[in-house]
Amino acid sequence: MRKDEDLSDQITARGAIRLIRRALLYVRPFKFDFGVKWTLVLISFLPMLILPWPGRILVDHVIQGIPFGEQPKPFPFFVQPFVDLVSSLPMESVLLLTIAVQFALLVLTGSFGIDSGESDSANDFGVPEGWDTATRTENEANSGFSLVSGLFGLVDFRWTIRLSQKLNHHYRSRLFERVQALPMSELNDQRIGDSIYRVMYDTTVISNTAYQLILTPVLTPIFIALQSWVMASVYGWDSPIFFSGILFILVAFLPTLPFAGMQRRFSGRSRKTGATTTSSLEESMSNIVAVQSLGGENRQRERFDADSSDSFRQYRLRVLVDFVTLAAVGLSGAALVAYIFIYVGDGIIAGELSAGDFLVLLSFFVSIATASGNLGGLWFRLQNDAPGFSRVFDLMDSQPEESQPDLPSLPILKQSIEYKNVHFSYPNASPTLVNINLQLRLGQVTAIVGPAGTGKTTLAYLIPKFIEPDSGKILFDDRDIAEHNLASLRDQVAFVFQETMLFDSTISENMKLGRPEATADEIEEAARIAGALEFIQDLPLGFDTPLGRGGGKLSVGQKQRISIARALVRKSPVLILDEPTSALDPDTEKTLVASLREASRDRLVLVIAHRLSTIRQADQILFLENQFIQEQGSHSELMRLENGRYRNYFEMQTRGID
Amino acid sequence: MIKNESSPAESEPVHKSYSEFARLGRGGRSDSLSPKLIFRLLTRCLPLIRPVRRSLIGLIICSTLALGSLALPAIIAVNVFWNGALAGEPLSELQSRLIGLPISEYVQVKNLSDEARRTVLRHLVVSVTLFSLLLTPIGVGLAYWRVWILQRINHLMRLEIVDRLQTLSLRFHSDQRVGDSIYRMFQDSSMVTQLIQVLFIQPIQYFFRFVFSLGIIVLWDPRLALLLLLVWPPLLFIGHLNSRKLRVAFRRAREANSALTSHIQETLEGLKVIKAYGAEAREAKKFQNASKGAFAEAYTARNRFVGYKVLVFWCLGLCLLVSVAWSTYLTAEGASLYGQRFFVAMGFASINSGIWDLGFYNNFKDRFGNGSSTARSAMGLWAVVQDVATGLDRTFELLDLEPEVKEVSHALPLKEVRSSIRYKNVAFGYTSDRPIFSDVNLSIEAGQIVAIVGPTGSGKTTLTNLLLRLYEPDHGSIEIDDNDIRNFTVASLRENVSVSLQENILFSGSAEDNIRYAVPNANRETVRQAARIACADEFISKLPDGYSTLLGERGTRLSTGQRQRISIARAVIKDAPILILDEPTASLDAQTEHAVLENLAEWGRSRFIFLVTHRLSTIRKADSIAVISQNRLREFGSHEDLMKQTGGEYRRLVEAEEFALDEELLSK
Repeated sequence: MRKDEDLSDQITARGAIRLIRRALLYVRPFKFDFGVKWTLVLISFLPMLILPWPGRILVDHVIQGIPFGEQPKPFPFFVQPFVDLVSSLPMESVLLLTIAVQFALLVLTGSFGIDSGESDSANDFGVPEGWDTATRTENEANSGFSLVSGLFGLVDFRWTIRLSQKLNHHYRSRLFERVQALPMSELNDQRIGDSIYRVMYDTTVISNTAYQLILTPVLTPIFIALQSWVMASVYGWDSPIFFSGILFILVAFLPTLPFAGMQRRFSGRSRKTGATTTSSLEESMSNIVAVQSLGGENRQRERFDADSSDSFRQYRLRVLVDFVTLAAVGLSGAALVAYIFIYVGDGIIAGELSAGDFLVLLSFFVSIATASGNLGGLWFRLQNDAPGFSRVFDLMDSQPEESQPDLPSLPILKQSIEYKNVHFSYPNASPTLVNINLQLRLGQVTAIVGPAGTGKTTLAYLIPKFIEPDSGKILFDDRDIAEHNLASLRDQVAFVFQETMLFDSTISENMKLGRPEATADEIEEAARIAGALEFIQDLPLGFDTPLGRGGGKLSVGQKQRISIARALVRKSPVLILDEPTSALDPDTEKTLVASLREASRDRLVLVIAHRLSTIRQADQILFLENQFIQEQGSHSELMRLENGRYRNYFEMQTRGID
Repeated sequence: MIKNESSPAESEPVHKSYSEFARLGRGGRSDSLSPKLIFRLLTRCLPLIRPVRRSLIGLIICSTLALGSLALPAIIAVNVFWNGALAGEPLSELQSRLIGLPISEYVQVKNLSDEARRTVLRHLVVSVTLFSLLLTPIGVGLAYWRVWILQRINHLMRLEIVDRLQTLSLRFHSDQRVGDSIYRMFQDSSMVTQLIQVLFIQPIQYFFRFVFSLGIIVLWDPRLALLLLLVWPPLLFIGHLNSRKLRVAFRRAREANSALTSHIQETLEGLKVIKAYGAEAREAKKFQNASKGAFAEAYTARNRFVGYKVLVFWCLGLCLLVSVAWSTYLTAEGASLYGQRFFVAMGFASINSGIWDLGFYNNFKDRFGNGSSTARSAMGLWAVVQDVATGLDRTFELLDLEPEVKEVSHALPLKEVRSSIRYKNVAFGYTSDRPIFSDVNLSIEAGQIVAIVGPTGSGKTTLTNLLLRLYEPDHGSIEIDDNDIRNFTVASLRENVSVSLQENILFSGSAEDNIRYAVPNANRETVRQAARIACADEFISKLPDGYSTLLGERGTRLSTGQRQRISIARAVIKDAPILILDEPTASLDAQTEHAVLENLAEWGRSRFIFLVTHRLSTIRKADSIAVISQNRLREFGSHEDLMKQTGGEYRRLVEAEEFALDEELLSK
């Protein structure tokens, strides 16, 4: 993941189209769900066709007393049966029956035909939101909408929430898996806060865009066509209502063009700064011990202050672009609306239209114009999502750790691991390891010794393929690990890291990480070997003690012992310990080393250590310095070398003591 | 989610705040939302609003003016359109003036000619269009202003949360999930922007709008106004039935999403281990469960919300239909308006009007619709308040925590540390029933190095954390120059202490930034000087960009030994009189360790140095040694003194280590 050169700022219009096209591919598995949603929306169009007519009946025939059949314009065919039914009834009955129809519509679909601004839809949902991208998107992930309300609206609404959630769940899970599959070397620059932001808040653009792209372009024209057809059947096709309504596509599209790029830019920046703010807080909280003890509170606060202000500013600017665009669209539309008022007014004055027609025509105009505006504004609305996609895809496209998932499994290690001419260097750095050749045997303890920063950990990382050599091979019983699948390799290795990493669950849960099926006895045994049994049993809840965040309640030495026990529970043939005893007191260390010796009988143990007491116990010692393995052999062999590096090193440490 | 072992709040005053938090965190406080709690939330937010109060009041005045200047012309325009242009009735004086038509031709006539009606229509449409043109920029400006104010309030709240989180003791943080803090910080606190809106601006707006509609409807017919009033009892009943359920659902949704955030954060933090142990698939499964759980809760909450809104809508829709039937009937009958004279007198209607005609009919529908949609919005608001209150409540749970480490009101700055540091009968335990140690007494004079020795988990690090006031001792006190450290301000105390932590935490930023973390304005030379003392200069210079090299998060690109040295340099550069080195050399090779310790001994001549360590080679540099084990300070004295104690703990430790080495040397 390229954290700092996020391209969101510079997405071009064409880039946005590419992103959106790709987004559509992601929706394909949900074809059926979208099909149902389509149908639901189509059904919800029907009551809207009925909407305008009751109002005209009331105004023309009830209030003005115009007899049915004498009004200037006819009724559409689906209203005619009702008109036939009531045409001979007295005014009061017409009134009551019309109201009754409206009541039925109200219960079923939540809409009824009076233009009082009271036609409700569940779309106007109104869950409270804050004023930054992250808060908004959480609602987006759960968005449901329906053009209607009432019983039908409820059904439609539920379906839509489920669909949104399914989509978002699917893609945030996939993104999360991708983050997990990032190669170890990529984790270095990984900002945890940034990943949280991408998984939680950037993925939601998928559902939003899916609705925009799958529903709007297809359903809106259908809606416009239906409305126009009904209107035309009454007022004729040449009505300017229709054309000015359609014209709203352009009215809603053209004025947004100058703002689309801006919208993209600010939306991208808003996401990026939001992620930075999250990282900033995440870092302070994860390192609170350091912050407090080094007096860094003010510094962290200032950083957070700056980040948070910036993130709010970027969102605010995006919203401003929204407002301005909306105003521009509104102003361009005002002329059209004015024209319609004059046209209809003239028609009524000339006696070609009734006053009731005005309501009907206006309602048609509003619904056609709104739908057209919706269609025309599509491009602009998508600009907000494009940077989100860019951030999601950026992570999705990162090279996963294992590029070929179908490699054969690696058989269980029987004899030895071999390094053959292995070279390794980190990007932008001088080589770390040069031409390493060595053999590690099952049943042996090998210690890697050498000055700090010479690549001891790197050497060990090569075995479970946390990193891959630039050239050369690593062989498990003569089989190249590069040609076998990763899971089968890692299954055979238990790695104890320098930094202890424990999870916020119980001790036994933590110990079972590598082998969930481990029994209580096995766990206890592992704890005993690692010298952890005593203090664990001293805890009131024993192995069921919750560890708190990162094992926060234990001392470093205790955490170290649990980590070692966790590795032992795994029962893997290869055990690698990276400075396992640095925080242990000499007593504990001694017992531990003895236990490890015992454990090594059927294992290959690799230890990185500084402590002589640990090193001395090894069957084989590798002395690593200046990118090479300088010396190799047992302790006594190496001590025999006059002026040997290991011997020097050893004596230096002894002198320190004496 | 906040975990809590049953540490009873009553028995332990020190931990009270924390325990209270844990209890509240498991839900419940806002399940019983009362007007009192809402009021408390409001008053609690006032300090946040104060800095922007002028803007806020200005905004409210401007918005009200803008809204008002919209409502009256709207009534006039609708009447002119229906009665003047469409029905051909003469205009009132006010009407004709407003759209710029001569009174003689449009008011003082019996009927308007078709030509005149067309002119009225054009004038009206142009006036309305120009008017809205004028209002648009004002509308945009007001909307932007509003966003600015709300964001500002939210930002102030976020800062308050950061401050609080940073002052809470480690006892709190060891149980607090990072993801939960993130969620409360961003998602929950954003509700404060809504608070102003939903508890302050909108209720007032809705109230006036409703009363305004009601007052106007009275002019049409008081019976219809009564109808609009009568809709409230059923509405309030619906609200009453749902509000608790809504709150519970919203709270659960928030908790589930917060847990999901924590889950992501924790997985990513421990990703290395997860990979090493091949636990990815299981973690992915767990993630999916958490994600599903969060969605399920959100689904329940939203469903309930929508169901509630549909109920409210039915209720109001019914009322609206009755009003439509009734008003249609009145118009058909041509009944006269209740406020007939008023309308004529005010110039809203021409002299021969004032009955239910199409203009007043449509106007009535607009007014009644407005009143009922206001009621609907108010009911929607009630549901929103439930969520806002839930979110804010979660925020205040955090903000209301009493920090364990509190400054006394007359706290003084610690200016210098002259002669001594004393621990007096100090006792501490993370929970009261399990003391880590008690009755610790030790003293250290200026220029001394004290090594703290003892088995893993015996509380060596905790002992030094107490000096920093990362925790407070349960009993006893720590004194600097005979002054209890609780009398000093926390900041000045920590100013005087430099620490190199056992877990070598690095911050994102360059190597240089990391070294000068505590002294941000230190120059390059000072930084190098410190790095040299910590034997870090050499390897930092070899990094691709030297001191400007960016270290990855948590400094993973450096080896532990390198990080350890940066951490030591960071402590050195602070140049504080007290220096705490926690396992400073655990990951260093013998040679480097030797060099670092030589440098430090030289550099630390007149300082107080605490060394927490296992290594004998390090211990030997100390003037006195404190051995702590089995909840007590067992031994305290110089190496020679302690070696004299037969059967002493320290002697046993040294002998064990030396035995191993002697054996080694002999075998040579």
